[in-house]
Amino acid sequence: MKFRSMIPLTMITISCAAPSLQAQENQAQRTANQVCASCHGPGGVSISPAFPNLAGQQKTYLEGQLKAFRDRTRADPMAQAYMWGMTSQLSDQILGDLAGYYSAQPPARGKLGDPKLIQTGRTIYEQGIPAAKVQACVTCHGKDAEGNATFPRLAGQHSEYLVKQLVLFKSELRADVNAAIMHNISGGMSFDQMEAVAAYLMSR
Amino acid sequence: MVTQKKLFAAAITTILFLIGFAQNALAVPSFARQTGLACQACHTVFPELTPFGRSFKLNAYTIDNLPQVQGMTPSKDMELLLNQVPPLSFMFQTSYTQTKTALPDPSGTSNAQNGQVLFPQQASLFYAGRIGQSLGSFVQLTYASDSGTIGLDNTEFRYAKQVTGGNDRLTYGFTLNNNPTVQDVWNSTPAWQTPFDQRTSAAPTPGAAAQIDGGLGGTVAGLTGYVWWMNSVYAEYGLYRAAPQGVGGQVGAGPLDSNTGTAIGAGVLSGWAPYWRLAYERQWDTNSLSVGAYGMTVKISPEGQPIGPPVDKYDDTALDAQYQLIGDENIFSLQTTYIKEKRSFGATATENSSGDLKTFRLGGSYYYQRTYGGSLGYFSTAGSSDAVVYPSGTAVTGFAANNSPNSNGWVGELDWIPYQNVKVLLQYVTYGKFNGASSNYDGNGRNASDNNTLYLLGWFAF
Repeated sequence: MKFRSMIPLTMITISCAAPSLQAQENQAQRTANQVCASCHGPGGVSISPAFPNLAGQQKTYLEGQLKAFRDRTRADPMAQAYMWGMTSQLSDQILGDLAGYYSAQPPARGKLGDPKLIQTGRTIYEQGIPAAKVQACVTCHGKDAEGNATFPRLAGQHSEYLVKQLVLFKSELRADVNAAIMHNISGGMSFDQMEAVAAYLMSR
Repeated sequence: MVTQKKLFAAAITTILFLIGFAQNALAVPSFARQTGLACQACHTVFPELTPFGRSFKLNAYTIDNLPQVQGMTPSKDMELLLNQVPPLSFMFQTSYTQTKTALPDPSGTSNAQNGQVLFPQQASLFYAGRIGQSLGSFVQLTYASDSGTIGLDNTEFRYAKQVTGGNDRLTYGFTLNNNPTVQDVWNSTPAWQTPFDQRTSAAPTPGAAAQIDGGLGGTVAGLTGYVWWMNSVYAEYGLYRAAPQGVGGQVGAGPLDSNTGTAIGAGVLSGWAPYWRLAYERQWDTNSLSVGAYGMTVKISPEGQPIGPPVDKYDDTALDAQYQLIGDENIFSLQTTYIKEKRSFGATATENSSGDLKTFRLGGSYYYQRTYGGSLGYFSTAGSSDAVVYPSGTAVTGFAANNSPNSNGWVGELDWIPYQNVKVLLQYVTYGKFNGASSNYDGNGRNASDNNTLYLLGWFAF
């Protein structure tokens, strides 16, 4: 096994000779393992729900979020505290490689919770909340909550993280791309409903 | 036995250690400048570290998001990697201290003014961050108002590399530093222990402390190597030696002699002092729990004596543990340590040729939204009596007629953190026993509770 030192993120943008695609992807993998993994866990499965699972996430979504952190259009509190600094010097190439690396990781396993909550959540996920004009999540996020391109995978995600994002969308503290859609949707949801759908998604 | 004291005082402070070494201070905006990360990424509330903060330190402070000055060899090894913008920061502490009973003034015939303002209590300049590929620094230059001097405070240079394979990860590194436990990443060991980290320099403190409990700071240099496996298992071992320029004047047998005073335990570290540290940390959800042990063997050539045998030998062995719950709004943490020191006096003509000292601290803190919080802690030192090690008959700082080192008490603190880099704290220390007794410990009518201290601190880091 090749032993490499922890490469500072800034170096990646400034390296002179054009490395091969494989070398670059290895660079992204090293960055992921040595830096990102501190919070997002080895292979992109995190311990603390403060940091989302990245394993198996949609590549387009990840790339979009990394760019949103870098250009500061995603400005919720945790984004400011952690991800603005982390992405400030990353090139488009590295962002793409990191997104590719994490999207290829095996997704986190579902974690079971309160069955009644999960059942309520499943109903919301598949049918929406018609009375509040809340569209069914399945229409964008897929039958198995696996996501699609810019719509993120939600299956297996920490429920606390999902609830927090819904709250942030509702309050517009999170205002990156597609936030407007999510703001409308989360605006019609109560906190209990958010917890229910998040419990369902964590169990997938 | 612990005397139960009322825990509803406005604030409770503790003063635990000898004042010799400058106060530690660890909020370092240098790292924020270098990484672009907000303080809360690495700290619950400074100086306490989050799991990510521990990882940042154990990887030699090298996460870096600044433009670089670089130099690369043809085989693409980075032989120069310097931040274009130096990661400098500054710290200013100002305080108000008042003891329950005024201290006698130097004339001894009346009392000094009670209620002392220090501006600054301490001011420090930091250079902290990466200085090379895999190489980081933490350098603190401090002006301390109690000594009126500027000197090198906690300082550490660190090299670290990671080896990863699949889900396996191993970090290994080396640290060169001037204070045993300054390199530690858990806030349950002496150099960075919370919630006992801040104490005034303007009030009496218990006189007895173990060598590893701040006794060697600034007078030694040590090189240790460590491994950290799976962000979970930690092992470290290394050696400390007396630094060529010590604290204080030159006395004794030659130019390398130094002394930190005439108290027992001061003198020059003779030979090499081995230091070791083991820890195990487990994380789940937003919790982390760590348990560990650490220790050091220190041989001291006392002041005025030639270096080398006979020596006074101090064997320190300690246990520690830390628990953290780091939620979005609520943060709770608990730290404890127990240090057992065995002493054998070969060089100093003590009353008994051997002795011991046991130190115990347990403290917890709570913060709401990282803005309002408080902490509460209990401390105690207890050990064998000795008329030479703990002499009686000196006002305020002397030991009791029973020549016992025993001190104990409680610390309570209220904190307000209006900005992530500004802390205001109100602290109250209450003593059940001080330097061997509860009442009239110094033979001059001063009781332990006369040293109860009210301490208001403003701490700015930028």
